[in-house]
Amino acid sequence: MAALSAFKAIGRGLLGAAIGLAIGWGLALLLGAAIPADDATIRKPQVIIAVGYLFALIGWLLGVGLWSGWAREWLRLPTMELTETDWRRYFRFSLDHKVIGLQYLVTFVVLMLLAGVLALVVRVELATPGEDILGADGFNTVMGLHGIMMIAVAVATITGGLANYLVPLMIGAEDVAFPRVNALSYWIVPPVAILLILTPFFGGFDTGWTAYPPLSVVNANGQLLFLLAFLTFGLSSIFGGLNFTTTILKLRAPGMTLMRMPIFVWSVLGASLIAVTATQFVAFGLLMVILDRVVGTSFFDASKGGDPLLYEHIFWFYSHPAVYVMILPGFGIELEVISHFSRKPLFGYKYVVGSILAIVFLSMIVWAHHLFTSGMQDFLLIPFMATTEVISIPTGVIFLAALATMWRGRLRLTTAMLFAIGVVFNFLIGGVTGIFLADVPTDIHLQENYFTVAHFHYTIMGGEIFMIMAGLYYWFPKITGRMFSETLGKLHFVTMFVFFQLTFLPMFWVGMQGMNRRVADYNVEFGDLNQIISIMSYLLGASFIFMVINMVRAWFGGERAVGNPWGARTLEWQTTSPPPVENFDAPPEVTGDPYGYGTPEAPAHSSPATGTVGN
Amino acid sequence: MSRDGVVVGLIWLILTVAGEALAWNVEFFPSAAADQAIIIDESFAMLVRLAIPVMAFVIAMLVYSALRFRHRGDPLEDGPPTQANKKVMGAWFGVTTALTVLMIINPGITGLNELWELADEPVDMVIEIEGSRFFWRAGYSEYGFSTFSGNPTDELVLPIGAHVRFDITSVDVLHSFWIPAFRMKIDAVPGMTTVVHVRATELGDYRDDINFRVQCAELCGVLHGQMTMPVRVVTQLEFEAWVTTKQ
Ligand SMILES: [Cu+2]
Ligand SMILES: [Cu+2]
Repeated sequence: MAALSAFKAIGRGLLGAAIGLAIGWGLALLLGAAIPADDATIRKPQVIIAVGYLFALIGWLLGVGLWSGWAREWLRLPTMELTETDWRRYFRFSLDHKVIGLQYLVTFVVLMLLAGVLALVVRVELATPGEDILGADGFNTVMGLHGIMMIAVAVATITGGLANYLVPLMIGAEDVAFPRVNALSYWIVPPVAILLILTPFFGGFDTGWTAYPPLSVVNANGQLLFLLAFLTFGLSSIFGGLNFTTTILKLRAPGMTLMRMPIFVWSVLGASLIAVTATQFVAFGLLMVILDRVVGTSFFDASKGGDPLLYEHIFWFYSHPAVYVMILPGFGIELEVISHFSRKPLFGYKYVVGSILAIVFLSMIVWAHHLFTSGMQDFLLIPFMATTEVISIPTGVIFLAALATMWRGRLRLTTAMLFAIGVVFNFLIGGVTGIFLADVPTDIHLQENYFTVAHFHYTIMGGEIFMIMAGLYYWFPKITGRMFSETLGKLHFVTMFVFFQLTFLPMFWVGMQGMNRRVADYNVEFGDLNQIISIMSYLLGASFIFMVINMVRAWFGGERAVGNPWGARTLEWQTTSPPPVENFDAPPEVTGDPYGYGTPEAPAHSSPATGTVGN
Repeated sequence: MSRDGVVVGLIWLILTVAGEALAWNVEFFPSAAADQAIIIDESFAMLVRLAIPVMAFVIAMLVYSALRFRHRGDPLEDGPPTQANKKVMGAWFGVTTALTVLMIINPGITGLNELWELADEPVDMVIEIEGSRFFWRAGYSEYGFSTFSGNPTDELVLPIGAHVRFDITSVDVLHSFWIPAFRMKIDAVPGMTTVVHVRATELGDYRDDINFRVQCAELCGVLHGQMTMPVRVVTQLEFEAWVTTKQ
């Protein structure tokens, strides 16, 4: 029965969701009576979905732990503390940042593999011209689901997973500032996944992840599910950003000045600042589309005074900065790994910090580069081209830091280090091709064709996903307390790196030759290259088998990891693997530089002493 | 200058020369069939020429470091405690800033201005384009007819050398009017008229070159991929003959 009791919370959550759905449904029927008759057939089901979901979401959250672990306090009732210390706590409303971090990590790695399978389905469809297995409608839904799921993976695997687990450890804190908000931000994610999985049963959605109106206002009800899912996920991201900003600014151990923080912590701070300032915009844009659909407003209906371009501005005002919510913490991981495995100080630490903050600012004033061919006013073209290209200056500093840190180092080419080196190459291609899309004349042709697809896969997959891999391999021993096989890890790197290039490099070419994106069917002239791309993508997908085997095997039977297997100086390595519930046996004190390699007389980063293998 | 530095410098030089030589000899795009296409292709080539030395530098540094500084001995042996110095940071900052400003000015602003100048030249002909799910209508209102991609034989035909302005709109959702052979693209937005200017410089026919096609480039729903219309560029005489068959 012990096993069953683990799922009690989830069971209560589902019960709450069912009750909420019933209440919402009833309420929607009452509200639905107010809809004018000519609109009713289209709008009534949408009112039921929207109101039903809202109440089901509240019911789910209350049931899963918000009531017993939090809301009771508002009524001056005692809250029920979680007492389990075994595996069952991972299925509960736990407040421990390490449990939540692992919940995030497992959820989003699984989601990444699922979204990867969807990508392979897309490539099967595209292997030959003509419609093969999906049909045009199914294709759009599968492609859109792949897109939004990977966006979620790219946003949350680091900021929700790795950062949650590691930031408190790295700054010497016992937990995050708001543990309950932290738990809430995770438990709000399962409804997002369920909504997305249900979209095909409601007619799918054919707008891709960008959901541009007017199409997103007039298409099947699957779109509404998508919009609600995206909106909910945005909420989770805002909670996360709030939590990390406060945690990093307020909970640092004594002696951990801002300029002694590991660069990963800085990068999470940068990403959090973006998440709390920009996410509201996309949330509002999505809400306006939902209102157009459900309530019958006309924010985006030109025939009733609305403006379709408005959505594009609002959407990208968030969604460009969102790229940096993904990439900044990735840069942090990359530089962290490169410094520790080159055993050299991070080159230009304070310039990197400055660059991160510069990117946070610049990311907010470049959004209209997605609108160069949208029909917006001509005078906006040059300013947005200029701001976009100026981002390459701070990004260049991060490149310099990576290269100069490796220069004359004692490079240990571990799996994590190989992934970090791979990132430099992939992001170089992604960054340079980004210039072609930021420069207006070339963008006019390349926008919305396969060149664009190749570019953002080089940044998000070649950059971000490779960075996630570097982080997963680097911190795996800390999180699981087990060592993985370096041989399998390196096999994963080599196969993933090679087949990644072979999949995405040809996409630049088909795009330049005139193939556009988001199509199930294309001219036979592009057939040969697409077939090669598809075959390479299957092999790229297969490379993840090495990762799955390696990590599952290590987790359940790997050699025990010592506290500091890599001999790194930063705080998270100065405790056991995995760390105790309160993170450190004694509250740590920070006395020096996290990257003081090569200076024997330099004070340790923290006491107790740092930089040795063992413990 | 250290030996390592000299070697990386040499690798950089070789990669740059090889890359530039390659770039000169590669045709990046299908045939450019309009003045606008020539400007855009030239902008692309300019960016490639600027990008090659930058990419060569990063790749040279990365590959050399990974091979030369690989360390197999004591895993806890530290490297030298090098810190960033003002000289290196200043040089890097100076070079990247100069490159960025250069890119913004040329090809960015320069190319855009060239496109705008072409648009300001006297217009010879206006074609009204209307996107609807999942068809294009091309209105030749000065001749009193229109063609529609829903009819299997209908085409978008324009005379070579004429400055054509397309006035583009949509009746339902967003579409995007893109003719790859001309490189030009603009969204079709309901409630709004957007424009594209083209002066075709090459004769061409969809049946010989698929880049002579209007391709919808903004996801508009289920048949988005099939939302195309054949394009033909013909001589003035052929154009007039075609017009009379349509009237
Ligand atoms: Cu952007
Ligand atoms: Cu379309």
